[in-house]
Amino acid sequence: MIHFERFKLENGLTVLFHKEASTPMAVVNLLYDVGARDESEEKTGFAHLFEHLMFGGSVNIPDFDGPLQAAGGESNAFTSNDITNYYDVLPAHNLDTALWLESDRMLSLAFTDKSLEVQRNVVIEEFKQRYLNQPYGDVWLELRPLAYTKHPYKWATIGKEIKHIEDAKMSDVKAFFKKHYHPSNCILCVIGNFELDYVKERVDHFFGSIPKAKKSARILPLEPAQDRFKSKTIVRNVPADAFYYAFKMPERKNPGYYLADLLSDIMGREKVSKMYVDLIKKQKLVSEINAYITGSMDEGLFIITGKLNEGKSFADLDKEIWKIIAHYKTTLISKKELEQIKIKLRTARAFQDQGLLNRAMNLSFFELLGDANGINEEQEIYQSIQAEDLRTFANQLFAKKNGVLLKVKKKKNA
Amino acid sequence: MLNRQVAPKLTPIKSIDFSVPEMVEIHAGIPLYWKNNIANETAKIELHFNAGTTIETPILASLTAGLLISGTKTKSAIQIHHALDAVGAYYDVSVSQEQAVVTLYALNSYLKQAFDIFHEALTNAIFPEKEVQEICNERQEKLKVQLQKVNVLAQRKIQQVLFEETPYSQVISQGDYATVKRTDLIAFYQKHYLKGLSKVFLVGDFSKDVMLDIKTACADFVGKTFKTENCSFSGKAHIEHQEKSDALQTAIRIGKIMFNKTHPDFISFSVLNTILGDYFGSRLMSNIREDKGYTYGIGSYMMENTHFGYFMIATEVAKEVREATIQEVKKEIERLQTELVPEEELELVKSYLLGQLLKAADGPYAMLDLFSGVELHGMDISFYNKYIQKVQEITVEEIREMACKHLDWKSLSIISVG
Repeated sequence: MIHFERFKLENGLTVLFHKEASTPMAVVNLLYDVGARDESEEKTGFAHLFEHLMFGGSVNIPDFDGPLQAAGGESNAFTSNDITNYYDVLPAHNLDTALWLESDRMLSLAFTDKSLEVQRNVVIEEFKQRYLNQPYGDVWLELRPLAYTKHPYKWATIGKEIKHIEDAKMSDVKAFFKKHYHPSNCILCVIGNFELDYVKERVDHFFGSIPKAKKSARILPLEPAQDRFKSKTIVRNVPADAFYYAFKMPERKNPGYYLADLLSDIMGREKVSKMYVDLIKKQKLVSEINAYITGSMDEGLFIITGKLNEGKSFADLDKEIWKIIAHYKTTLISKKELEQIKIKLRTARAFQDQGLLNRAMNLSFFELLGDANGINEEQEIYQSIQAEDLRTFANQLFAKKNGVLLKVKKKKNA
Repeated sequence: MLNRQVAPKLTPIKSIDFSVPEMVEIHAGIPLYWKNNIANETAKIELHFNAGTTIETPILASLTAGLLISGTKTKSAIQIHHALDAVGAYYDVSVSQEQAVVTLYALNSYLKQAFDIFHEALTNAIFPEKEVQEICNERQEKLKVQLQKVNVLAQRKIQQVLFEETPYSQVISQGDYATVKRTDLIAFYQKHYLKGLSKVFLVGDFSKDVMLDIKTACADFVGKTFKTENCSFSGKAHIEHQEKSDALQTAIRIGKIMFNKTHPDFISFSVLNTILGDYFGSRLMSNIREDKGYTYGIGSYMMENTHFGYFMIATEVAKEVREATIQEVKKEIERLQTELVPEEELELVKSYLLGQLLKAADGPYAMLDLFSGVELHGMDISFYNKYIQKVQEITVEEIREMACKHLDWKSLSIISVG
């Protein structure tokens, strides 16, 4: 059980506080309710580029990292298709430093041309390093537009193409800030050995005077229901043929989300899953295979992916994948296997909860979903899932017209 | 009224509480360290074996480690994995140059059961031929992917250059998978696992009896005491660029053989290393990422082995700025050799390092890792008190002296691939 307190400032900032008496450190986590799905199709990669700019100095403080490091702390951030999350970890007695820095960059950025110019280049190098200069690195740049035709999940967080980042203008940056970076679009979470009154007072001191702005409504294009199975083949300089089956799965707040998550754990289990045993051990069809979910807010993807062994064909694989899928549609998972998965989940969760930062991010994320207390209810949902639920769900999920397939074919003589 | 231009007052860190785990001897010279009083229900056990890549060959070390749970006379690999799953345990094996570390994670109420399953599997492992073939296939495919990455190629090359003609220079190549034999793996296992335990770290809130049972069982992996041999390295600097025509970026590695914690300059040099490249505001990051935008990231780091250490600068940059980047690195090192670091910058780095140490000592798992870092060198936890003191006292002149003494540009090997 993770105890927390919640309060709201007059300007709309939601604050969560979780007391942890055993640590000398403090965590300050800010989740902004903005991600790549909030970008326009002509200007993708913006939420992430913006995250970089948030470290380029704010209206009253020229340098973000310096003062935090001088306080013995460290900071970083990540952007997803759904959210942008910033965090600071520092000695608890210097909590003020993190609140001071974070509140100033929520108030306003410095917006220098130099910072924009440099971060554009840095992000372009990140684009190359992570997406273009790695075997299979561009798979998500291809898979997303295959799976989504309307919804902004059709582009990756890094952006659709490098050009969008090159073209980013200062006026775009300012407009983006104004729209998404204000108190009512943020959830602040503080963890440390503090008293609630103290946290209230310090947070109000630094954040209270930031002007209120209206949280803009999020109206995203709805992804039309898919009516047929789609597949695409790309040829790349890769060492082995790879496949990515993707099935549309329920959004984060849907109970089906948990079913998808558990089913992916069962199907993707290393060394013992049916897929592993049948395709790797018995048939020697693939060298690796896995199943996982994207875990997104809106309709997400359930992925089955792996690499073919030399000399095996996509057609052979396809037959086998559908056999495996048919198995989960018709056969109940044994009680024993379900129990194993559930206890593994409990272990994983206990280890995750150990980390302060993890707790802060999870509390913030559940608050965004509607209630931070979701963090304490999630295990119960998983533990209550029955084999019948999973079988019923598999029948919905794995309807053929609900899926897409991306094949990455090895270039000849590569 | 809040004046946002004024930074909040800072409170410096003066001291940190370090604690040592309880120790019992499994056998003379082979300790089990136990950290109990854990506030949650997590537990883990780490078994360290003298079974790293340098003890024989990397291919034997890596495949044996991957096949520890591959089946016994009475149980298949799948059955054993199911048994571990039934108690909700996770396990992983990591192989470094000198050690192979097997870690089991579980809830404290299940750790003993998980350990028993693992213990039985390991003591009776038979390395079935089929399992050997499977892992060879899987690893070979993974290696093919790795060998297309410029950072991996550069890392392998500099390892070969720095550690030339010693076991530390060995890397796995594709051909190794074709020649490796099951019998070699069994021999490796018998020698370096059944008789290769070097120490055990245990974390978890359970009774002393459970800990003692585990200790007794660990004695099954004990052989004769082992000492890592000292190596001598040529220390010759080598510069090489490998062209990779389809690459979009160039990976750069700049490094040399250095020392470990046992050397009197270690702490002072680590402060210098931080200033140069080991935090977000470092000289290298400020110049090469934040000013020039050449890269997504650049850093310098220090690695330690039993008898030596090494220093490395690593980055991936746009292809056209390879030479410019190397020149900027050179410039940054020379600045540290000729100019004094501004007091303010040194103060910032001192506070940062102490804050990071406070974090590194936060919680039983972190504390045990810190302890492990000194135990490896036969030192005790008081090293960290010396560290705090030295970091607080170090002067800008000493930083310059460290840069001149240890970072002569001509002593550094430079490898680039891309």
